[in-house]
Amino acid sequence: MRIMNRTKIGILLSMIVVVCFSSCKEQKVQKKLMINEVLIDNQTDLEDDYGVHNGWIEIFNKSYGSSNLAACLIKVSSTPGDTATYFIPKGDVLTLVKPRQHALFWADNLPNRGTFHTNFKLDSINSNWIGLYDSGKNLLDEVTVPAGVLKTNQSYARISDGDDKWEIKTGSKDKYVTPSTNNKTLDKNAKQERFQEDDQLGIGMSITAMTVVFIGLILLYIAFKFVGNISVKMTSRNAMKVSGITDEKDAKNMKEAPGEIYAAISMAMHEIQNEVHDNEDTVLTITRVKRSYSPWSSKIYTLREIPRK
Amino acid sequence: MGDFIGFLGANLADFWTYTGFHNATPGNIIMILIGLAFIYLAVSKEFEPMLLIPIGFGMLVGNIPFNTEAGLMVGIYEDGSVLNILYQGVTSGWYPPLIFLGIGAMTDFSALISNPKLMLIGAAAQFGIFGAYMIALILGFDPMQAGAIGIIGGADGPTAIFLSSKLAPNLMGAIAVSAYSYMALVPVIQPPIMRALTTRKERLIRMKAPRVVSHTEKVIFPIIGLLLTCFLVPSGLPLLGMLFFGNLLKESGVTRRLAETARGPLIDVITMLLGLTVGASTQASEFLTFSSILIFALGAISFFIATASGVFFVKIFNLFLGKDNKINPLIGNAGISAVPASARISQIIGLEYDPTNYLLMHAMGPNVAGVIGSAVAAGILLGFLM
Repeated sequence: MRIMNRTKIGILLSMIVVVCFSSCKEQKVQKKLMINEVLIDNQTDLEDDYGVHNGWIEIFNKSYGSSNLAACLIKVSSTPGDTATYFIPKGDVLTLVKPRQHALFWADNLPNRGTFHTNFKLDSINSNWIGLYDSGKNLLDEVTVPAGVLKTNQSYARISDGDDKWEIKTGSKDKYVTPSTNNKTLDKNAKQERFQEDDQLGIGMSITAMTVVFIGLILLYIAFKFVGNISVKMTSRNAMKVSGITDEKDAKNMKEAPGEIYAAISMAMHEIQNEVHDNEDTVLTITRVKRSYSPWSSKIYTLREIPRK
Repeated sequence: MGDFIGFLGANLADFWTYTGFHNATPGNIIMILIGLAFIYLAVSKEFEPMLLIPIGFGMLVGNIPFNTEAGLMVGIYEDGSVLNILYQGVTSGWYPPLIFLGIGAMTDFSALISNPKLMLIGAAAQFGIFGAYMIALILGFDPMQAGAIGIIGGADGPTAIFLSSKLAPNLMGAIAVSAYSYMALVPVIQPPIMRALTTRKERLIRMKAPRVVSHTEKVIFPIIGLLLTCFLVPSGLPLLGMLFFGNLLKESGVTRRLAETARGPLIDVITMLLGLTVGASTQASEFLTFSSILIFALGAISFFIATASGVFFVKIFNLFLGKDNKINPLIGNAGISAVPASARISQIIGLEYDPTNYLLMHAMGPNVAGVIGSAVAAGILLGFLM
């Protein structure tokens, strides 16, 4: 019997291991950080902290937890075989990008000006491949800005933060350049507006939500109906074994013990386990109480001195 | 000498501007009176004293008038004040899951496990939430606010606080006070509805005694419960996760100390802090608005709908059940998650009509299902509206 159980446990564990491995295989590197917007030829757009116009690369933390860029790498290549690598320094608290926030790196080839100034410039004639790598040199994100598509002060950006599609931000009213901020300004709550337009009375929401509540509890009902049936069968099988009955018909005729018996057994167990029996052992004992002296607890030091006559 | 007396006078006049007497507004006085009424109800009538005492006293604390321009850092809405720090457990929503941990560790789900169809009553009672949601929309609240108000109908204080802190933080004080007030008033609100919606014959229905639930089933319940409900509604994870975790601590039988801490000292500490800070958040300037009055009215409506829908659901359900498996509709009210107050009401009303018909054990089934149901409903609202 024990060998059987071990075999079952072994099969279960090996199945779990197989499932884990197969899911790990599909798992990709967690991509919290991504390249979000790139501006190559900056003439009159945003100035850096030295008052100089330079190209820039914006990185976006798409997760809802902070993410650190320290020790990450930004690689840039405009001609095959010629790749510049910028190691984002450690030890700068500003490299911690807060949830759904941005970090802007100046492509000015002046790394001595601070963490956010890279050791390369972007090529305004050829296409630029930009890659972002984590500290383990795993590629987090990459983008190629095609040659000749961007004019001065125009950026190549995801349509909205973290979106898969890219577009050219021309600086027009609809497609504005957005360094260090959302690619699409969130000036309305789209979800809420959709509810206000399509479900003014809340009927749709109520039907959907109640359906989900019912589904959730029906699933639980089904699960526990199933578990309950198995449990009842196992209990009756055990009872048959104890009583030495082999025929199920006989077992059905076997009456279950009345509730009072269970109550009496429970009460007895409760009394034993929790020592609630009220029969005292009638032996008097004296527990010696020892209080160790300490000036902190001494009354002498807390009393005022008696005035001397 | 004259200058000195002038200096003293100016000092005293300055001091006067700091006192509560100088800064008191009619709103403060009204809120203090409401707080005193809460304390009276708790002490004298024993209406949910564990909740009403901290909330009532919190109302006194929150409505002591002071000079808000002096930067004394005492008010609950002043960053860095002690009350503000304690209030962060409410605003960032981590008190409610800890309360749920305690509830899980003190709840026996045996009644539900032995008769799982009672879970559906817990689902039906959630109509109160969405009834109030629809009425709130009609009254002009936006969908997020309406969702936060609707959850009052779940009769679950921690869930109401959790959801309103996410969806409508500015209405949280009113929603929390409303939810807890009506939970305390369950013995007043529910019996007339239960009597009105049932016949004498129905009230006398005797239900089959629940079967004995094995230890294995009790251990499996929180695990399957968590997996099924949270796979369906992951946004309910903070509440459901803690509820089922607490229950596993209790039922596993090997973590007795942890379970005792969760259902004892931990839940007591959090209840005190939660009640006090929710009460203190009802500062008159923030609380006494027309919206608060509407929220109180909507809260009452949601309780009516929830109770009625629970009872109605049982009546309809009985049409499909065999003669021996009928459910007494008096346990329908227990579908709301005011544990165990609403189950006690089922028992009391049941005994009025048949002194040997004990419904408490049966009513605990829908009652704890209501806890799960309201947490699921909160997760759905959060998922849809956030």
